[in-house]
Amino acid sequence: MIEFAVETTPQGIAVVRPQGRLNMAAARRLKEVLDGLVGDGRNRIVVDMEETTFLDSSGLGALIAGLKSARQAGGDLRVARPTEAVRTVFSLTNLDRVLKPRDTVEDAFDD
Amino acid sequence: MTEGNDGRLDLSAPATPEMMGLVHAVLEQLWEAHDDVAATDRVRFEMAVIEILGNIVEHAYEIDSTDTGSRRFDVSVAATETELVASFGDNGLPMSIDLSDVAMPDELAESGRGLALAMAAVDDLSYERENGRNLWRLTCTRKG
Repeated sequence: MIEFAVETTPQGIAVVRPQGRLNMAAARRLKEVLDGLVGDGRNRIVVDMEETTFLDSSGLGALIAGLKSARQAGGDLRVARPTEAVRTVFSLTNLDRVLKPRDTVEDAFDD
Repeated sequence: MTEGNDGRLDLSAPATPEMMGLVHAVLEQLWEAHDDVAATDRVRFEMAVIEILGNIVEHAYEIDSTDTGSRRFDVSVAATETELVASFGDNGLPMSIDLSDVAMPDELAESGRGLALAMAAVDDLSYERENGRNLWRLTCTRKG
């Protein structure tokens, strides 16, 4: 079962780390985690995917939903450190332009 | 899970989201038996297999939300020197899809990418309805 570690940086950015496979069973929980953060006013979110070993279209849908709700609240959602499996999905769906993966968590909100 | 003489792995299980982990485990076993399959081929094959399973599971819920227990699927996966092949069968209602019409949705769509992603990941994907069952077949030509 996938785990979602969540922490907040000193700059107030929420960092979510899906550890394991982000598939249909896990996507609903990721969506709840992201909705909960935005609901709490933490609308700048980095999803650190260094330990996300698998991503499917449901997980991708949860990321897009989180991106939209963060932006509607005046913030943004950034993806950092995608694994090869995650990069492959971004590239096959042409979403690397929308989700623009960042190399580090620390610099994800630098631009 | 059973193993055929030809190294094929078979699994039959209820069509529920919880079974996804079981199918990932079947693929792990396939990679253990065929450790020469390149990582890029593993990634795209696994992605397509899970998308098709997701489609079967979602469809099972969609058509009969009160009686999901009777919806089952079978899957069989195999690796040859040149190909990775998966076949799915399920007893859900017929799918009304034309694979030639499948396309990626808008960038900000939250759903509707599953089949398009599966088709982009593998070299061949087919669907047919036969004897009251949905049959899916996926083929990846090994490139690694």
